[in-house]
Amino acid sequence: PLQPLQAKPVPKRLGVSQRKPREPELASSLIKGIFRHYAKMPVARDAFKVVEKCSERYFKQLSNDLEAYSRHAGRKTVEMADLELLMRRQGLVTDKMPMNVLIEHYFPMEYRKLLIPIAVCGNKVIPSK
Amino acid sequence: PRMKRLAPRSTLRKIIKKHKPELRLAANADLLVHLSFLLFLHRLAEEARTKAFENKSKIIKPEHTIAAAKVI
Repeated sequence: PLQPLQAKPVPKRLGVSQRKPREPELASSLIKGIFRHYAKMPVARDAFKVVEKCSERYFKQLSNDLEAYSRHAGRKTVEMADLELLMRRQGLVTDKMPMNVLIEHYFPMEYRKLLIPIAVCGNKVIPSK
Repeated sequence: PRMKRLAPRSTLRKIIKKHKPELRLAANADLLVHLSFLLFLHRLAEEARTKAFENKSKIIKPEHTIAAAKVI
């Protein structure tokens, strides 16, 4: 005799999500893409691993520095000025290479629009209605 | 080669939060974090390229990148 047709019980997932919370990190494909773009020559696969490690260390150092700068100014918020100071210390921003020029060189228009008016106006507070 | 131009803004904020949970970032400050990171990778890549040339290598190898990281 035929058994009544029954859908196979699908094992129900327990909990809301099975996804493990991942450590926040930049996609390796992004880091690779940027590095490859600037390297302008072939890069061995293992060399990318070194670049990723260096990037991790870079962000760790950057976080420490930004904390030190903002704390030094008596703030808990990292302001644009802290980043400008950081990039000055790194020798990226100089008198001959101002921040705005770097922004224009490295960023697409949509980001420039967000950054340049702020960079130009400095700390002036525009009264908001 | 075409490069992705958009910044991974929320990931950048999360990375800083991971290192410094108490620290807040002003609006758009994450974009300048991204800019400094782009410049860092630019420097690292150029330095690694120089090391590869010095070693008469046509390809950037891990040791070139390591040597470059030490200089930067």
